Amino acid sequence: MSIRKLGKPLFLHCFLLFCGSIWAAAANTPQYLITNDDNASQFFPNSVTFFTIGTNGSLTLTQQVVTQGYGIAGGYFPANRIKAFNVGSNQCVFASDAATADIASINVNTLALVGNFQGSQGDTGTSNGIGLALNAQYLYASFTDSSTIGTFAIQPGCALSFVADVTVSGLQGGIIDGMAVNGNTMVVTYGDGSIESFNLASGVPVSNGDEQNATGAAIGNSYPSGIDITQDGRFAIFGDTSTATQVEISDMSSGKLTKTTVYKSPAGINSSNVMLSPDETLLYVSNSQGDRVAAAFFNSATGTLSGGCRSTLLQGYGSDWYYLGGLTLASANGTGQLLYAAEYGVPSSIAAIQVQSANGTCTLSGAANVPDADPDSQGLLSIASFPPRAF
Amino acid sequence: MKFVRPYLFITIFVGFMFLSAHAQNCPPRPLLGTVVYDPYEVTSVNGVLSADFVMGHSVDDQGYTHYCYDYKGTRGIVEAPTLRLNQGDMLKLHVKNEIQSDGSASAMKMAPITAPVCGDSGSMTVSSTNVHFHGMNVPPKCHQDDVINTLIQPGTPGFEYNMQIPSDQPPGLYWYHPHIHGFAEFQVNGGAAGALIVNGMEKVRPEVAGLTERVFVIRQQYLVPWIPGPYQLTVNYHQAVFGLPLPIIQMKPGAKEFWRVANATIQDFLVLQLQYNLKAQNFELIALDGYPLAQPRVENSIIIPPAGRAEFIVEAPTAGESASFVTNNYSTGPTGNPDLLQTIANIQLTTDAAKTSSYTEPVSGPPVNTSRLVDVTNKPATTQRKLYFSEEFGGTNGPIQFYITVDGQQQKVFDPDEKPAIVTQVGAMEDWTIENRALETHAFHIHQQHFTVLEVDGKPVANHDMMDTIPIPFWEGPGHPYHSVKLRMDFSDPNTEGTYVFHCHILLHEDLGMMHKILVQPAGTN
Repeated sequence: MSIRKLGKPLFLHCFLLFCGSIWAAAANTPQYLITNDDNASQFFPNSVTFFTIGTNGSLTLTQQVVTQGYGIAGGYFPANRIKAFNVGSNQCVFASDAATADIASINVNTLALVGNFQGSQGDTGTSNGIGLALNAQYLYASFTDSSTIGTFAIQPGCALSFVADVTVSGLQGGIIDGMAVNGNTMVVTYGDGSIESFNLASGVPVSNGDEQNATGAAIGNSYPSGIDITQDGRFAIFGDTSTATQVEISDMSSGKLTKTTVYKSPAGINSSNVMLSPDETLLYVSNSQGDRVAAAFFNSATGTLSGGCRSTLLQGYGSDWYYLGGLTLASANGTGQLLYAAEYGVPSSIAAIQVQSANGTCTLSGAANVPDADPDSQGLLSIASFPPRAF
Repeated sequence: MKFVRPYLFITIFVGFMFLSAHAQNCPPRPLLGTVVYDPYEVTSVNGVLSADFVMGHSVDDQGYTHYCYDYKGTRGIVEAPTLRLNQGDMLKLHVKNEIQSDGSASAMKMAPITAPVCGDSGSMTVSSTNVHFHGMNVPPKCHQDDVINTLIQPGTPGFEYNMQIPSDQPPGLYWYHPHIHGFAEFQVNGGAAGALIVNGMEKVRPEVAGLTERVFVIRQQYLVPWIPGPYQLTVNYHQAVFGLPLPIIQMKPGAKEFWRVANATIQDFLVLQLQYNLKAQNFELIALDGYPLAQPRVENSIIIPPAGRAEFIVEAPTAGESASFVTNNYSTGPTGNPDLLQTIANIQLTTDAAKTSSYTEPVSGPPVNTSRLVDVTNKPATTQRKLYFSEEFGGTNGPIQFYITVDGQQQKVFDPDEKPAIVTQVGAMEDWTIENRALETHAFHIHQQHFTVLEVDGKPVANHDMMDTIPIPFWEGPGHPYHSVKLRMDFSDPNTEGTYVFHCHILLHEDLGMMHKILVQPAGTN
């Protein structure tokens, strides 16, 4: 048998072996909850802490990975400072170091730092943080002080290569606040109440020309902050910085943002972060200035919200911690099983809330339980899960 | 509040940097642990009080920036003297601005371009100033008590306030301070504030006749006022610092004195007590916010919000008792700054205490006009309004939006170009319910007039006190009702005609826009 004839079977064999090893690696990789500790002190460089998620949702501190950079222990609520990536052989976690304007990359299989990657010199998030979002090819970093979006190509082995950055601005000159990506669509919010979407087909964001003031901002009592996008890309969902729990939804079926519909509830204060459940039946809301999380039923066919539930008081609010940060889930399936919420304090902690949903009713229970400590963090705002939700 | 929006921080910080760090045109402040004297007084003569103030600033050895109303008195330059007048007197106050800057400080538009400028033209900066006569029922007009259009710029000849104290202005304690939108906090934090007294309390409340009067102006100073951190309280500019020698208030053993206390802090809610041998003492509350109470009340503690005043009769301790004047802890909510327990001064017994006060309440004299002190709560209200305080946080470092909103209107921060949020007319009798929907206590204040407290948290109050500033406690969060007050606003006084403002008197909140305009039109306006 000539080598030439051997080629295809050998290739297939190797491919299967390669895939098998990846599968084995993935199968051996535990479920993690991961925090960007956002530490700012020169004595405590920033770190990413990996907690293993137990079958009952319990968290076990497994590894603290020092990022070699520095955080700012705070900043904008919707700037998501940590993202998990699980595509092909690349199993990575990216975490932003706002003070040193870099993105630390960590290999999830080795729990080792791969490197620190920077955008252009003008990219800064020193006051308000650096948000992250990604698709299968690129990582996007929103630098909230320079109001620039950096594009980084995700390389094998979790390395990043900087492509370019673009400067973005709200209709009234606002700087970038929140950012989300789904496939080739990016949606951002600005601090002046406007929103905009971008096309990512070429990698670098190109505006879809749909910048507009969100309805909630136009009626004057809030502005959109955190964002999630449905798996099919049809709807963008905004959590508003507001004196109530307020969510806005824009139909993007046309490929562009349309006028948002406002949903408002007295369930909480300042709904700066939102996250859809993996099955898109529930929208979770983190009330950053309040003391509880909420959930609303989401109809993915119509892009509408109805009913819902809210947790009881989360333990330690006002004494051990002061703001609720981002959300993540224990499971990448169904309603996510267990909802985790970052609790911003010194040190910070993580609340775990049991999710139950059936027959049009839901409960968020366990909020009164003692939260899991994140002793490594002096200002926790962003958390993620590995493996991440599929969209 | 704990944090401020970064852009404001940068704007103001940059502005602050342009102040001349070496300027030293404020008088030195008293030494630690020394005896507290009443402020220097300037009194009216033949119905006129004329005074020249120079607004200056300096930076002390500890890094605190002082702003000062300098007045050339008989013992040299003094800071922020007490202005003492009678009903109907004329106040002629010339204010020259000598805040030194290099002229490049960050500018902020103050008044509508189309509005009449009162005083100097130009933009409002950290080195601009003006004066608000807090609690005085005088018209909101140029050269009187207008703060929307009045601007006194550095290096100009100055500006003359020329106003008549209303003939029915209740005798009591008022105060004056700068009211430059966007920068009021800096100048008041630096000490630019003083007492204004309308004589005649003994005619309304004879309990005070013949008593030694003490005037205490409590101020607050932060190294950098917009950054949360340790602060110092001062009483008549004496620093009260834990662990260091405290100010000393001298009293004669067992003597009764009439204390007039102004909360001139930028954001501290004072919970005042006199403690003898660590036990809170009763005192006889005589007046709030300058207005004598319908009946004196015996209390052993009183909350005075920022800008509030309380006047009360105290009895000195007897020999052998340790005594102090304290403010207790006060929670302003999860997003508010903690107001901490602190001894303001120790009380020292001496037989020579009269030297610390320059004034004894007369026992006889002409009658005073009390027509403004009538109870209007039994009259029907012509209008009901609801307003609410609220806040939005965009992140741990801000931006924070501070709102006071008329229910049904758009939440927005104050804009000098805005139209009045409330339009009414002279003769109206309105009830305003004010809710606090923020996780932080706020202090409601309206210019030009006092209001009567009708309800607190929806329940009628026993005492219909007349005030110009009132605290509304923080919201405990979802599942809890909003705290509220219901206030009777009496617009029958023609002096209320014009455009003026209502706002939170935590001065950072006011500077960041927790304020709106009210327009009171002439009676009979359609």
